[in-house]
Amino acid sequence: MTELRPHERKTLLILEKLGGKASLSQLTAEAGLPETAIMRAALALQSQKLVEIEERKEKTLILTQEGKTYARKGLPERRLMKALLKLNGEAPLHKAIKEAKLRDNLVSIALGWLRQKGWAKLEKGKLKTLGTPEKEGIDERLLRLLDKNRSAILEKLDPEMRKTAELLKKRKLVEIEEKTVRILKITKEGQNLIKRGIQAMEEVSQLTPKLIATGKWRKVKLRKYNIRAPVAKTWPGKKHPYLRFIDEVKSKLVQLGFKEMSGPLVELSFFNFDALFMPQDHPAREIFGIYFVKSPKHGNLSRYRHVMAKVKKTHENGWKTGSRGWRYKYSVREASRLILRGHGTALSIRTLLSKDLEIPGKYFSIARCYRPEVVDKTHLTEFNQVEGIVVDENLTLRDLLGVLEKFAIEIAGADEVKFRPDYFPFTEPSVELSAYKKGYGWIEFGGSGIFRPEVTLPLGIKVPVIAWGLGIDRLFMMRAGIDDIRYVFTQDLDWIRRKGMV
Amino acid sequence: MPTIEIEYQDFVKLLGLKIGKNVEKLNEILAFVKGEVKAFDEKEGILTVEIKDTNRPDLWNVEGLTRALHGFLGLDRGLKNYKIVDDSGVKVHVDKRLWMIRPYIACAVVRNLNLNDTIIRGLMRLQDKLDQTYGRNRRRTSIGLYNFDLLSPPLHYTVTKPTETSFVPLGFEQEMNLKEILEKHPKGVEYGDIVRRFEVYPILLDSEKRVLSFPPIINSNDLGRITPETKNVLVEVTGTTHETVLNTLNIVVFSLLDRGGKTFSTTIKYAYSGKNETVVTPRIEASTMLLRLEYVNQILGLKLTARHVAELLGKARFSVKSKGKNSLLVYIPPYRIDIMHPIDLVEDVAIAYGYNNIQPLWRRLPTTGATNPQTEFYDYAREIMIGLGFQEILTYTLTNKQALFYKMELKPEKTMEIANPKVLTLTCLRSWLLPSLMEFLSNNQHVEYPQKIFELGTIVIPDKEEETKTREEQRLAAVTTHANAGFTEIKSLLDALITSLNLQWQIREATHPTFIPGRTGKVKIGKTDVGVIGEIHPKVLEAWDLEKPAAAFEVDVSKIYTLTLQDTNKRILPDT
Repeated sequence: MTELRPHERKTLLILEKLGGKASLSQLTAEAGLPETAIMRAALALQSQKLVEIEERKEKTLILTQEGKTYARKGLPERRLMKALLKLNGEAPLHKAIKEAKLRDNLVSIALGWLRQKGWAKLEKGKLKTLGTPEKEGIDERLLRLLDKNRSAILEKLDPEMRKTAELLKKRKLVEIEEKTVRILKITKEGQNLIKRGIQAMEEVSQLTPKLIATGKWRKVKLRKYNIRAPVAKTWPGKKHPYLRFIDEVKSKLVQLGFKEMSGPLVELSFFNFDALFMPQDHPAREIFGIYFVKSPKHGNLSRYRHVMAKVKKTHENGWKTGSRGWRYKYSVREASRLILRGHGTALSIRTLLSKDLEIPGKYFSIARCYRPEVVDKTHLTEFNQVEGIVVDENLTLRDLLGVLEKFAIEIAGADEVKFRPDYFPFTEPSVELSAYKKGYGWIEFGGSGIFRPEVTLPLGIKVPVIAWGLGIDRLFMMRAGIDDIRYVFTQDLDWIRRKGMV
Repeated sequence: MPTIEIEYQDFVKLLGLKIGKNVEKLNEILAFVKGEVKAFDEKEGILTVEIKDTNRPDLWNVEGLTRALHGFLGLDRGLKNYKIVDDSGVKVHVDKRLWMIRPYIACAVVRNLNLNDTIIRGLMRLQDKLDQTYGRNRRRTSIGLYNFDLLSPPLHYTVTKPTETSFVPLGFEQEMNLKEILEKHPKGVEYGDIVRRFEVYPILLDSEKRVLSFPPIINSNDLGRITPETKNVLVEVTGTTHETVLNTLNIVVFSLLDRGGKTFSTTIKYAYSGKNETVVTPRIEASTMLLRLEYVNQILGLKLTARHVAELLGKARFSVKSKGKNSLLVYIPPYRIDIMHPIDLVEDVAIAYGYNNIQPLWRRLPTTGATNPQTEFYDYAREIMIGLGFQEILTYTLTNKQALFYKMELKPEKTMEIANPKVLTLTCLRSWLLPSLMEFLSNNQHVEYPQKIFELGTIVIPDKEEETKTREEQRLAAVTTHANAGFTEIKSLLDALITSLNLQWQIREATHPTFIPGRTGKVKIGKTDVGVIGEIHPKVLEAWDLEKPAAAFEVDVSKIYTLTLQDTNKRILPDT
């Protein structure tokens, strides 16, 4: 006795229901199974001589993306024509384009077809109608039909429509797909089999809760899957690659005994500059160096009156710091000027002034900072800085180098370090750190120094303060394999999704 | 950071050392002066060097650079014996009307020069660099060089009405008055703003009323032009502060001295506030600073002897005298304007000693590392969002009113705007977070849906009570967008977030133009509003060019954090 698989049985029975003869697509629609499953079943039935398969070629017409858009919004020439008629049949080109709300890239298409269809002409920048065209051209009718019915069979169209279809194909508005149509027909043997009744062995694709609960799973056969078949892509929820990297740096700093600092994005010039002994005419304080707040222009420094008096004297004549000072007239008003924080060092100053400051103390911040830079491969106008301070009695340049070396090893995983003299207006001595890592080469990994006495003494800090900043963006770029810093704030979801662990 | 150009051949000749053309090797040498090769055009022989120190104008030309390097490379040591040969006899009379305009001038006469095109090009570059940087684009100081042999002293630094005086400016052939110069001469257009607001402009004349220059704009084409044939030069600097004027003059004069010139002084006669005052310039004598040995060792963590420190200071081109057992008297050349405090000498000692010869020291300090407690809370909230299948994104806090309000169907409110924006799309700080996410989605229409994104970020709100006139909040915003996105989905997600934070919440009907009416809610924890939730209005979707439905929420996680601290009764108690 012939034994059929469930799909084969189903296919044969449906075919009978459809009068013994049906196309593959008809069967698919009726059976509610994938076309591939039906096809597989049909081939099996054919090999058992229960059905015959007839093949025929058919040309199917479908809309392209552009065609779809035009079907809904109208052809560009139609839109321009409508606009022109609205403007009384004659108008300067730019006016007609504006009225039609045509995008720039569609203008030449619209003009070309206006001329070809003999609807209008362009003379000396003026567009003029040559009469009123019919409400719907044959090409537009075809587009509409295709949009409604999704596709059409070329062979079934009348000759004029077929010609139009060719035309639309040239305009790349439709595509013609050649398909093989398969017709299935039950053979005599098939008919006989149906009459005798079909035995079926149950094969199951989805293991259902019911099958498990009833214990019926024991009686069915779980169908083999093609486990190599591709599956749909799943995008996990995950951290932004750069923030994940920053989190890692953060946890390493915590492990090294550093405490996190925080502070405002809109900052007083006093914290960003004055308290760092940067004179009030320093170029970094000009419009090319820092973003100024439009309004209000000034903040309130009254809480810091006492410190500011000392900072003022330090700028003017060195106060009691042993410095000769910058020797100019310090403006209290200028110190209250509101800006967008230009570096994380402003946070260190706030921390040094805080009543919670611990000595010895180690602090870090991950600070969003702003500078009026032109954004390019190596510059951002808004960026993150990782920096901090170490405060303790008897700290020396050796400690500074020690901190830097530790960072290079712990955070950058460096094999070797090198120090170079560096410059910051608020540290002396200042040191630049380069770290060497196998496979990466040398990278400039940080800048640092000991705060000048002109910075610490007015704040009432009598012990040395080591200040450091890490070039983690460079490190991130190397680890992420990118050479463009703009990826830090990328708007490319696909890149973020695909970027693995950095 | 100043970037300077020097001519390689000239540099090697002045240095007197074969240094090769390997950029890495050059950088090793330049490290002593905090310099780095930015470019080396071997064909033209031009070396572009960036000098990190903005407070060392003496390094901004080939003469100053080699002067410093000679010391570190052991080719020369200590302070050179620079001298003023004699008084040149030149007097400069300063008009008291300059007091409010550009009050100071300093001059020097340098004779016996043997100039060539290379040296002159170098001088012009130095002049430019000093004018721009140290001179703050000529506002603070500006330099003029003249063929001394064509001048007839005494000189008069005085004022004139814009249309009263005419001369042929440098690079031009016809005479122009000062007003015309400001309108037509490129330098007049560039720097005109410095003097335009005054009724009279500064002018430097000789005894025959011939114009030397129109400071700080342009020199005369006849007198203010230096050629290889020029033997004797008058250097003049005008400016707004006396000290910077004198410093600038020194930097130019020392370069000419290094080229073999002989310096002669000039006498400046001021008559401000009714008092006659005479100043002789240039002032090239060294100043002194006392340096305690203990201080040096305390900062560096080394045990250097006084002799060793003296030797290292000599390498850094200072001269030193012992002062008792434990102190050194350091002679500082006047061009070292960066030496403000003994700490500056200590750094030079360290550089001469070599940073890489100092043993790093890692001390275990008894500190406890920690992030802010808020940070921990925010990180937890981020974790939940990620668990809910959301992709974290990172966007700028800078944005524009169009994005913040108009595209979100809101009326504009006050935000913290930038006075000097660099691009039109980044003009203010964001006052809410959702627009950043909408913009992100708008840039990703071609990317596979569903798209579920979130950001935890700072927003800034104007607040007159605060010292910075602003208050910040940490917001968490999330959007889900796909063909079937809607309110039910986003509400379920927000519920998952808030209950995971051990809080109970309610939703109340609300109106918010960004969202669809009837599908918008206020998010409340206890009596506190903490955010908004809803389906994005199609008008907003259209404004961002989006074609898929979207639902979103934005909550103030900084506020929620404080609620977790205070409102213990609002917390869900663990099941017992």
